[in-house]
Amino acid sequence: MSVSRRGFLGGAGAVAGVVAGSATARAGGGAERFVGYPDAMGLLHDTTLCVGCRTCELACAKVNGKPKPAGPLHDVSIFNKLRRVTDKLYTVVNRYVKARGKKPPVYRKHQCMHCQEPCCASVCFVKAFTKTPEGPVLYDPSVCVGCRYCVNVCPYYALGYEYDNAINPTVQRCTMCYSRIKKGEQPGCAEACPMGAIVFGKRKDLIKLARQRIAKFPDRYVDEIFGEHEYGGTSWLTLAGVSFDKLGLPVNASHKPLPELTAGFLSVVPLVITIYPGLLLGFYAWTRRKERLTEEARVAAVAQARAADGEVAATKAAEQKKLAESRQKRAVDLAVKKALADAEKAAAAKEDTP
Amino acid sequence: MSESIAVVKRPLITPFNVIAGLILLAGAGAGLYRFAVGLAPSTNLDHLNPWGLWIGFDVMTGVALAAGGFTISSAVYLFGLKEYQPLVRPALLTGFLGYFLVVVGLLVDLGQPWRLPYPFVVQSGPTSALFEIALCVALYLTVLFVEFTPAAFEWLGWKRWRRLVHRLTIALTIFGLILSTMHQSTLGAMYLITPSRLHPLWYSSHIPVHFFVSAVIAGLSMVIFESALSHRVFADQVEVTHEKLDEMTIGLAKAACVALGIYLAIKVVSISLDNEWALLLTPYGHWYLFEIGGFVVLPMIGYAIGFRERRTTIIRVSAVIAVVGIVLNRLNVSIFAYNWQLPAHERYWPHPFEIIVTVALVTFGVVMFKWIAGRMPILHEHPEYRGEH
Amino acid sequence: MHTLQDFFHFTKGMTYIIAALFLVGSIGFWLFLTSREDKP
Repeated sequence: MSVSRRGFLGGAGAVAGVVAGSATARAGGGAERFVGYPDAMGLLHDTTLCVGCRTCELACAKVNGKPKPAGPLHDVSIFNKLRRVTDKLYTVVNRYVKARGKKPPVYRKHQCMHCQEPCCASVCFVKAFTKTPEGPVLYDPSVCVGCRYCVNVCPYYALGYEYDNAINPTVQRCTMCYSRIKKGEQPGCAEACPMGAIVFGKRKDLIKLARQRIAKFPDRYVDEIFGEHEYGGTSWLTLAGVSFDKLGLPVNASHKPLPELTAGFLSVVPLVITIYPGLLLGFYAWTRRKERLTEEARVAAVAQARAADGEVAATKAAEQKKLAESRQKRAVDLAVKKALADAEKAAAAKEDTP
Repeated sequence: MSESIAVVKRPLITPFNVIAGLILLAGAGAGLYRFAVGLAPSTNLDHLNPWGLWIGFDVMTGVALAAGGFTISSAVYLFGLKEYQPLVRPALLTGFLGYFLVVVGLLVDLGQPWRLPYPFVVQSGPTSALFEIALCVALYLTVLFVEFTPAAFEWLGWKRWRRLVHRLTIALTIFGLILSTMHQSTLGAMYLITPSRLHPLWYSSHIPVHFFVSAVIAGLSMVIFESALSHRVFADQVEVTHEKLDEMTIGLAKAACVALGIYLAIKVVSISLDNEWALLLTPYGHWYLFEIGGFVVLPMIGYAIGFRERRTTIIRVSAVIAVVGIVLNRLNVSIFAYNWQLPAHERYWPHPFEIIVTVALVTFGVVMFKWIAGRMPILHEHPEYRGEH
Repeated sequence: MHTLQDFFHFTKGMTYIIAALFLVGSIGFWLFLTSREDKP
């Protein structure tokens, strides 16, 4: 099969046209920062105001149709063990620091952080997660294959999976009450919190509010808003009076969104696809060339050997001929000599007899 | 049964067949149970450890151990190392069966396996490393299957089909090497997004390169091990002499030794780049040194001695150690060094049913290899196609 | 395009397709390049 020049160029031109037509005006290049949706909502959790009443857990379960959280809410023995979010418990309040002397215990409510650049969205190979303009990261159970890559990579251990559902297991997590937000309501936990430890509002406004609180009460707060920048930032922002690693949150986390780490490598994949064919065909051609040259050299050597044999044979034949000729000559000479001698003898014998 | 085919009639009830049969039955039972009741009762997976033995071993290790296919076929067809020709078909068969079992293992692990085609037919997530892996593995399984068909066609006597596929050899080999490079490295790349959950000694921005090089090591070592085993088990049909097998083994040892040397170097470079020397003194550091010292450095030395002294026993023992080392590395990355900060009661250990299914899958692969190699021209040349490779 | 995720989703999807086209095209390219070599 051979491809004509025209055919090849025509095909290439068609592809270029399609690509140019679908490119948008925005070009990345890597030096640009994405700032997210400007009017996205968020929540500010001020752990210095949290008393561990777990009313938010109850409200969340009610809003989402989940079973009531364990134990009577006033039973503080539940805080003796660190609880995790599960497929049935979208949010948990844990006691991270026990009361010491006059200092009260420190609680923190944990749930999906609705990251600005979510790992779950990045790793999902069916694009089941979407960061909405309103702020929440949404999950679409209708396309989920159940690979649980998202559950495996979440830096906040915020996803649960329905392992006991044999027919249609899905990922379960806090949704930031997306349907309520769309109706103009607050998320269930924010509305229910009696201490005002959860504030719902625009993310950029909440950051300003948090900064104001830190400025006003510098001895009360650690001078940092967790979630402002970590791993690209989250929609849930946290203020605390103790360092965040005591609250189960990663301290000194990179500001770089984690999905960038995957993207960096995946950009090499098209290089493999485009470089390997030519490179490997080159190796193959080089191998074939070596084989061809070896074969040619072998054939030439055989021919040369044969020719050399031929020369040797010819020389030998010539020598043999010479030898035969000289032998023959000597034989002839001998015979002539003998004949002459015989003739002399005969002549001499004739002279002797009268 | 046709009498014109000179097949040695083997009895059905052998110790191997009985044991394999029991294992396969147990595996089938465990698999059915998993689908009947869901993952909760049949596995120890949970919200903190959603990936267990089936992903860590069946998928991630399985793919590495099936890497002999692309390494040997590339060596013979692209780089002209024709002396390893007899190893091509067994390696490709192992590769095909290996990848097939990877897919089966994946289907058992997925929450909704019937939706596996979704990324290609419903909605794609091209930002995901898993998307690339799914694409590559699907294509590569097809490539391996096509590369296997000439042996089947020779066995069936379908001459035209055999000729047709044989002409595709170079293209398939190149495509296979492209796909293998991509998915072997991308299996490691899946963990690039997890620096907060994977222990820093195993985590590296170079983890895709580590996985690819160790796949080459695994492939070469598996070929050394399997060819020795097949040579004994199928002694009645192999045409390769002891001497020829030893020659090939010694040659492969040299390549594997170099690969292990490269692997050691890039692992040390990663530690140096991230300045993790102090971590080597921690308990996890000791475990890391155990993995590198016992299963990278040791087989590398074994291969070197075996190659220089031309001693195949040392080479074969080193091959087994190297393979165990790759298994250990994949399990470390996916299970033992993953979620390393979690307290002991929140860590994962496989459920017995997970182990049964895994063992059954491996057994199935061995049984299939035995069945195919015992009938089709894998370990010997078909008399009508002698020399046509 | 407000998020990195949106950007990557678009660019990577596009790039997969382009790379695949180059791969398929490379077959034709190679055959075109070597089509006169095998003739005597």
